[in-house]
Amino acid sequence: MIETGIPKLDDYLNGGVPIGKTLVYYAYPGVEGTVFGMQSLCHSISNGMSGVYVASSTEPHRIREQFSEFGWDTDEYGDRFAIIDAFSGLIGADSHERYVVADPEDTRSLTQCVKNAMEDLREPGVIVFESLSTIMDLCGESETLDAIEEWNQYAMLYDHAMIYNFTAWPYSDDTLLSIKEDVCDSTIFVGGIAGNVIFGQYFGVLKANWTDAVRKCVLFKVLKPGGVRAYIPKILVTGPFDAGKSTFVHALSTRAVSVDRLGTTIALDHGHVDHKGFAADIFGTPGQARFDPIIKLISGEAMGVFLVLDSTRAEDFARGRQMLEITRSFGLPVVIVANKQDCDGALTPEDILGQLDMPETIPVMPAVATTGEGVFEAFETLIDMVMEVG
Amino acid sequence: MTYKLGISRLDELIGDIKSGTNIMMIGPPISGKDDIANIIAYQGLLDANAAVIVSTREPGNNVLEWFERYNLDIPMDRIGIVDCVTRTLGFGAPDTDNIKMASSPVDLTGIGVKISQFFEHFWMEMHLRETRLCINSLSTILMYSNLQTVFRFLHVFTGRIKAANALGIYVIEEGMHDEKTIVTLKQLFDGMIEIRESEEGYQIRAVGFTPKPTPWFDYEIDGANIVLRG
Repeated sequence: MIETGIPKLDDYLNGGVPIGKTLVYYAYPGVEGTVFGMQSLCHSISNGMSGVYVASSTEPHRIREQFSEFGWDTDEYGDRFAIIDAFSGLIGADSHERYVVADPEDTRSLTQCVKNAMEDLREPGVIVFESLSTIMDLCGESETLDAIEEWNQYAMLYDHAMIYNFTAWPYSDDTLLSIKEDVCDSTIFVGGIAGNVIFGQYFGVLKANWTDAVRKCVLFKVLKPGGVRAYIPKILVTGPFDAGKSTFVHALSTRAVSVDRLGTTIALDHGHVDHKGFAADIFGTPGQARFDPIIKLISGEAMGVFLVLDSTRAEDFARGRQMLEITRSFGLPVVIVANKQDCDGALTPEDILGQLDMPETIPVMPAVATTGEGVFEAFETLIDMVMEVG
Repeated sequence: MTYKLGISRLDELIGDIKSGTNIMMIGPPISGKDDIANIIAYQGLLDANAAVIVSTREPGNNVLEWFERYNLDIPMDRIGIVDCVTRTLGFGAPDTDNIKMASSPVDLTGIGVKISQFFEHFWMEMHLRETRLCINSLSTILMYSNLQTVFRFLHVFTGRIKAANALGIYVIEEGMHDEKTIVTLKQLFDGMIEIRESEEGYQIRAVGFTPKPTPWFDYEIDGANIVLRG
């Protein structure tokens, strides 16, 4: 099995892409689709496999720079990484790559290189195409579809996995349908949330013929360095006064800012989290009752909620419950953060849940925000719940 | 929501250009199309629009230098350049707030992503509702990709211009392409700015905005101004 390295996708595909199988990232024009194939390739190579990248619209040295911008140093991969250069021939440039396509406008020339590369990969490996659409533009739609069939057969023969990046420009309906439904064992749709402009990106499994794939959509962001990150645009952090919300936001965030006065949040905390393939923007509310009118404004459109409680102050728990009501958070995934567990008199998570009179299914995570203890465990728990809903 | 070109006589004759309009600008080499494209972008900046310039012939820095050369005080937070040149010259320049690098003019997927990113930034983060996209030039893109490929790309992005209530300007070199290419591409545009050579120099007119084309005007480019005569 070859893992794609895309957050959540391997779970949805029941572990990844089996050897001999094929996958296409079917991207909406204008959406960052190419990085998906790059990330899958680097993830596989990092796991000890060999990989080949078929460059069709970018010079090889530039390809290496692109990988480097995402934090993937191809020099470290040694001879487990190779490029099939199907670009230099197009612009009449010299190439020093191991595999050079003499005529990038002829699929036979490309097929020969792909076959050679597959034969040279001794162990099962992964072949990633930078842009199937560019090949289609240069070689023709039907010619490319025929060639894909041939490449996929070689992949099966030589025990490799094939991954294609494809941008769904307005080709003929037959071609688009063929790419989406026929030519590969699996299709991952990489789409954009479009209004007047594309203001969000998501991916989801359209099909995978080796498993009962989970058909959920995941919002994502592309980070440099980092690559594809499953993205939660808004997570709310609320709780009573002095429960440690701002400290929690700062402990969790790679960058954060608080609007406060004399150490008390008077408007909001904002932080950005980047953790284990997931990115999220988190917004902390003030805790004092006099700020309740603005809490509603801050809390709209959240996808999940942290309720931060001071584990030593049971008298504030009712206020915590009330804040969930003010933020209209009921129905959203909620994780209770039992903060200040290092303080004398801290109640256990079980005791806190009992005193809150809330469903037992709500996780209560012990934490010490001042040291960062338990904050990422709480984050991972909430992310799992948000993704489960999505 | 309407736009002006920043070419005074033409603006007077054609009136306000409605949002979502895509315009082809076609003319002979060294007739000042680069300057005119930049003047149109600059007019947008004066009108509090955002401007996205896709540069396929000049590095992005050169485009910014054009504005500096004429001492134009441009708001840097409202201008974005998709640079399709620098990396083809072998320079590994990183993206900046104002300049995003595409791999090459072949990389239409990458160019499309960069355009979308600027549009998203201006719309979602800057809350700007009027944006001008200027692709200078389609002829370079057509040198690397066939007509059908470029047509598909434009089909998507002229649609995006309409969806975003933006203004699209697409520059084409006259004489570089056969008649079929021009006729095919024309289908995608709502109007044209035509430039031709005359005994005096060059002339310009606008087509498709009014029932009849505007008259031809002799023009001179004086720094960041275009002066029409006649």
